[in-house]
Amino acid sequence: MSRLEAKKPSVCESKPLTSERVRATLSVLKGIVTSCYGPSGRLKQLHNGAGGHVCTTSQSSALLHSLSVTHPVLKILTASMQNHVSCFSDCGLFVAILCCNLIENVQGIDLAPTTIIELNKLLLSLCTDYLKSEACACRIPVDFSSTQILLCLVQSILTSKPACMLTRKEVDHISALVLRAFLLTIPEKAGDHIILGKSIIVPLKGQRVIDSTVLPGMLIETSEVQLIRMLPIKKSGALKVALFCVSLSGDFSDTGEGTLAVSYGVSLENAVLDQLVNLGRQLVRDHIDLVMCQKVIHPSLKQFLSSHQVIAIDRIGVTLMEPLSKMTGAQPIGSLGSVSPRSYGSVKDLRSAEFGSKRFFHLIPNEVTVSSLLLCNRNDTAWDELKLTCQTALHVLQLTIKEPFVFLGGGCTETHLAAYVRHKTLNEPGSILKHDGCTQTELQLIAEAFCSALESLAGSLEHDGEILTDRKYGHFWSVQSDSPAVVNWPDLLSRCGCGLHSSQEELSWSFLRSTHHPFVPQNCLPCEAANSASDLTVDCFTAKLSGLQVAVETANLILDLAYVIEDTN
Amino acid sequence: MAAAASVKAALQVAEVLESIVSNCVGPEGRQVLCTKPTGEVLLSRDGGRLLEALHLDHPIARMVVACVSSHLKKSGDGAKTFIILLCHLLRGLDAATDKEEDSLISENIQTHGRHWKNCCQWKFISQALLSFQTQVLDYFMHQCLSRHFLSIFSSSTQEKTLCRSSVELLLEAYFCGRVGKNNHKFISQLMCDYLFKCMVYESGIEEVFELVDDCFVELNVSVTGLPVSDSRIIAGLVLHRDFSVYCPADGDIRVVIVTETIQPLFSISGSEFVLNSEAQFQASQFWIMERTKAIMKYLQSQNIKLLLSSVKQPDLVIYYAELNGISVVECLSSEEVSLIQRIIGLSPFVLPQTCSQHEISNTALVKFCKPLILKSKRYVHLGLISTCLFIPHCVVLCGPVQGLVEQHEDALHGAFKMLRQLFKDFDISYMTQANGQNYTSSPLLHKNSRESDLLPEIGNDSMQRSYQGTVVKNENELTTIRTRLIVYSNPEIPGVELETYIPCSISKLTPTDTYETDYTLKCLSQNKTRVIDDRESLIESKFTANSTAENTRIGMSYENVQVTKSVSKGNTLPVSYKSLKSYCSSSIPAGCVLPVGGNFEILLHYYLLNYAKKCQQSEETMVSMLIANALLGIPKILYKSKKGNYSFPQIYIRTLQALQTSQPMVSTQTGLESVAGKYQLLTSVLQCLEKILSIDLVINIKRQPQKVYDQDLEDEL
Repeated sequence: MSRLEAKKPSVCESKPLTSERVRATLSVLKGIVTSCYGPSGRLKQLHNGAGGHVCTTSQSSALLHSLSVTHPVLKILTASMQNHVSCFSDCGLFVAILCCNLIENVQGIDLAPTTIIELNKLLLSLCTDYLKSEACACRIPVDFSSTQILLCLVQSILTSKPACMLTRKEVDHISALVLRAFLLTIPEKAGDHIILGKSIIVPLKGQRVIDSTVLPGMLIETSEVQLIRMLPIKKSGALKVALFCVSLSGDFSDTGEGTLAVSYGVSLENAVLDQLVNLGRQLVRDHIDLVMCQKVIHPSLKQFLSSHQVIAIDRIGVTLMEPLSKMTGAQPIGSLGSVSPRSYGSVKDLRSAEFGSKRFFHLIPNEVTVSSLLLCNRNDTAWDELKLTCQTALHVLQLTIKEPFVFLGGGCTETHLAAYVRHKTLNEPGSILKHDGCTQTELQLIAEAFCSALESLAGSLEHDGEILTDRKYGHFWSVQSDSPAVVNWPDLLSRCGCGLHSSQEELSWSFLRSTHHPFVPQNCLPCEAANSASDLTVDCFTAKLSGLQVAVETANLILDLAYVIEDTN
Repeated sequence: MAAAASVKAALQVAEVLESIVSNCVGPEGRQVLCTKPTGEVLLSRDGGRLLEALHLDHPIARMVVACVSSHLKKSGDGAKTFIILLCHLLRGLDAATDKEEDSLISENIQTHGRHWKNCCQWKFISQALLSFQTQVLDYFMHQCLSRHFLSIFSSSTQEKTLCRSSVELLLEAYFCGRVGKNNHKFISQLMCDYLFKCMVYESGIEEVFELVDDCFVELNVSVTGLPVSDSRIIAGLVLHRDFSVYCPADGDIRVVIVTETIQPLFSISGSEFVLNSEAQFQASQFWIMERTKAIMKYLQSQNIKLLLSSVKQPDLVIYYAELNGISVVECLSSEEVSLIQRIIGLSPFVLPQTCSQHEISNTALVKFCKPLILKSKRYVHLGLISTCLFIPHCVVLCGPVQGLVEQHEDALHGAFKMLRQLFKDFDISYMTQANGQNYTSSPLLHKNSRESDLLPEIGNDSMQRSYQGTVVKNENELTTIRTRLIVYSNPEIPGVELETYIPCSISKLTPTDTYETDYTLKCLSQNKTRVIDDRESLIESKFTANSTAENTRIGMSYENVQVTKSVSKGNTLPVSYKSLKSYCSSSIPAGCVLPVGGNFEILLHYYLLNYAKKCQQSEETMVSMLIANALLGIPKILYKSKKGNYSFPQIYIRTLQALQTSQPMVSTQTGLESVAGKYQLLTSVLQCLEKILSIDLVINIKRQPQKVYDQDLEDEL
């Protein structure tokens, strides 16, 4: 019998954005995400009062994973950011800050929400069209003949996560490793469409960061005893591999839905064990050198195999099965009976490896598409952060292969884009508005809000100093706040946020937050410049473009809310 | 606890609901964010969902919500308009009763007594509404509004060819009210593309709608974290799971569906397997293995490349499938299996007892089968070759948050529901009176049309004349004879029955023949005979007459009974009714649309006003005025934010002028909406109002109301 319980009526809140409570919580969230942003972002320590794991982070994914928000409007915002991160790994804070800025900036404007939404949408399509176009001055095509840009990309990601606690030297080391690990996953023989391999991150905590390394092939952690048992069976040349997905522990499952009656004296265990030994004999007959099993191998089978110089590794786990099967070319065997010789695979070599206190089997494949990245860091929290960062970097590299572009980082894309939008809305409002029933004044108002949202997003990269922008390229320049009032800017500034331009190029600057006179942001042929500049800060193209769209769409969504109905049951 | 139900209470409830709903209605409407107790958030502009999310407490509110959801089940659209219309109707009623009360105050009735009196009055109004809804409304639809209807089909020929631009307009108007402002254009374009991609040619659309409506969940894939603009249409079918085994294959791929595990089991349910020795056990395992192997070999020999299974297959099957180059997709839901079966007309494969070399009959071909990766999740992508009129396509819906994706999903599904409704002929039926006098003022010469419509049989002319003669006489005797008889469920009424009635009405003129009349009447169907049986009591008391009349689905108004005070007239009363009524059934043809922006409401308002002016009965005038004025509430809200030339008064005046001079109406908004949907909405609202009015007391009880069980059923148990 089901129990009926009276439902409490829901709470209905009208015009949520006008309420003080929502504005306050929104600004708290904005404060949190803004302070985390960028290489000099402040770290957040997350812990619960009852003790346990403490997480120190400035990454959106880690931050929001453990942060629970209560108000439904914030839930929308954080959910959209988390979904973005789960798709692209990068630019989570970018989405959240931009979205908060957009909402905040239009609060004071006395226009109907539908007009604001309509105009935001027009401005967004103006931006995306520009960013995707050839004329875009803030994106650089990636030249795959050199690793320069890709390395810059990984470095930018690593430096933007201060909670990894890496020194400059360590950043260089890890970014080289990450890039190598990624390059190892690209198959040598490329057909029509490339299927990338996999980089597996192996934890190695408590070591120095410099001890991190990357190895082709796969590492499987093991105990010392097993290693010792393996050592005498050293053999030169390729090894024949059998990979089992079915349990070899001699358990007997799946008897069907009926009952199974076993007469007295009949031992099924023995029967199954006989079967296992038969299987072992077949494997030995087929000259198998290495048997791997996803689940457990029965000790007597293991004993049998090792007495015949066959190495047995069990408890591989389901996650490694697919890369293993791909790497060795072996087919996961699901049968205890006869095994078809076609399902065997091979590896080039099997070695033992020792890193720190851990021992590994190191499988070296014939053709490398799987790489193992051994990551070291001083402590658990820093390691967790580093692991997340490396995963992000690997994902971003994959995305970059698909769309071979990068954006200028360090806030330059945002300020440049803002300058572009300002210029466009002032000089060609007709082409933006088309015939959508909005007036030019309305467009100016919203464009100003939109641009200042982008600029204050760039501004959140700098937590102490002042932000300047040059009036030629619209790039981002930061300066210490205690600088004297009358200064010679070229001396005080060195390079712009992305590192493309130096202050010696006869530019003129203005404060980002001051009033603007729109100018035409110029294209500086980034292609050539990028090759000359060695140390650029660049961002992932796909993630940022999609992040921009998601942020504006989410902001529009929140602005469009007329009611919030909370089910309090 | 008991609380008096009154129009005032209902109005209060409706006004609260209206204030919520009116912010979300129409193209300028905004979104509502709902949270579930589990913490999920959902965005919605769907009125039905919104009302349900409120978990209303008030009994009348709950009744309204129940009415809305039953309306939505029928037509899938119009929940918000429902509330607005209801609210305006109640407001109108309230104003009307207020006026009456003022005049009645001198009568010094006790408050309690007045409450009961009011209730009776409401019940009376409710009956008037019912009769209006069932008779007059349909008449208006058919006679007055139909000439304004546009069609979604490109030509008026028999063959229904869909006009793409009209469909686009229709969908755009639909999504205007369903999804957020910044996405509605994109989503409606997506929907339109999807629709036209799924159709083989522009006919046979009903089948496509039906299939998509039934299986919509299986035909769309939701992806969160991407901008909405990344949503797209994919040719073929996307199954919401990954391959268990994937073996790439080129060219056409032969496919089978299985619904059981291929590997035989030791024992099936309800049986016992006795193991006597280890050898026996090993032998049976060996047999199982060999059998599985043989079946998979057999499948391979039949050139099967893809195995779709509704159950999980054991490791052994997966292993042999891979060895034989057969891709496997497991754990398909029964809905997915039935969808595939519907598209390619394939029945599940039955495992053969012996794996002979004969051909498997239950196979089909697919063009391709490959993995599809959306946001790092893998799906199975099948290029099914359709055997029906539906060309399989899937919609990939993207959005930053799940709540938004769900909203779009619901809206698309709702759009298919709406289209499915639209492409059906919508039956309306109403009674016209033989007495044309009341209607002569109506703009159409309906008398002519009635003659041709209703009496198609040869030789009806004389009959027609004869009973028109009766009518005149009736008019003299009974001041007004409105057609109060509702014979919805009796399709056998026209034609033949009329013939039997005619002598009856003649007999009325010669009262000596009453006996004979009774005889003819008794030949009628069972429920009508009852009316005759009850006639004695009917004459005795007008109130009982009223109730019995209701029982037999014959609604009767007070006046009519009052008129029949003398026995002789009473005798013939039911007879004369029947003779006067002629049953007219017609339909709103499939695909009828009107421009959006309150066009339907203003039109109906105009005709109702005209009708009310010429109406002789006060109660009827009141009802039509009430409805006419309430209808205006919807365009008023739609044009709320518009200024100047596009404000509501301007539009209203312009439309009325156009109607009076019979010029074509100028619509300010592009977009179309379904007439049948609008009509259904109006009837649903009127039904809801009738319900509200017929309740006089709300009693709060502690327990759930017990279901009244059938006595027989109880005994059997």
